[in-house]
Amino acid sequence: MTATPPPPRTIGPITQTDIVRFAGAGGDFNPIHHDPAVARAAGFEQPIAMGQFTAALLAGWLTDSYGVEHLRHFEVRFRSPLRIGDVIDLRGSVVSTDDTSVTLELVATRGDQQLVSGRATLSV
Amino acid sequence: MRLLPGTTVDSVLFDVEAGKIREFARASQCSDLVHVDAATAADRGFGSVLATATHVVVAGHHRDQTEFVEKLGMDIRRIVVGSTSWDYTRPVRAGDTLTGVRTVVADENRGTMRLVTLETTYVDVAGEVVVRQREVLIEKGQP
Repeated sequence: MTATPPPPRTIGPITQTDIVRFAGAGGDFNPIHHDPAVARAAGFEQPIAMGQFTAALLAGWLTDSYGVEHLRHFEVRFRSPLRIGDVIDLRGSVVSTDDTSVTLELVATRGDQQLVSGRATLSV
Repeated sequence: MRLLPGTTVDSVLFDVEAGKIREFARASQCSDLVHVDAATAADRGFGSVLATATHVVVAGHHRDQTEFVEKLGMDIRRIVVGSTSWDYTRPVRAGDTLTGVRTVVADENRGTMRLVTLETTYVDVAGEVVVRQREVLIEKGQP
């Protein structure tokens, strides 16, 4: 494995179906993710994606290149909700390496706005 | 209400199934065949397909969210998840049976917000730790 980040990935536009598919897979049935009335009552124009969906997209982008079996640590901080219609960009950069591991900083953005930032350490 | 560190919040037990791995990998838009193809997994030294990095969130299917929030003494309408992290000993794979025990790491106030840090330790049938997931729940102050 080389100590280089994967090439950037663009995902979207995100659909309600994408969000519902993830809800069904993961078991998060908070209605704010699928019920427009509940989302409006919470101050959103329409349902928003769960943070774990964005986290899963970011992790998947990373491990599609490196292999999930090399992942030792993955962390995310949720900064802004992912909305229906969003197109997001996943990018990363290597921040450190040693004889046994590589650590990257990761980010999912919508335009200039960060939705999720994160960090991952993989064994080499 | 303040929770003491070490307090057990809940526990889950579930089998890691190849079909669920495929379903979750598709929902996560993962394209690595190691999640869906046993031959690919075998080529990489594993006896069954590997789960995606965040697969253990499927524990949501086996948890009672209402009971969980009541136990924490939090208002679900004001909760957001601030951050989540995972530390892996080995990849989760089809055929695993995992037990996840969720405990309180910290419960603190920051201004008008309450921050509760929880950690779920997932162990396999041999009692070996496979992955630890840590999450920080933020309860916003009353409007």
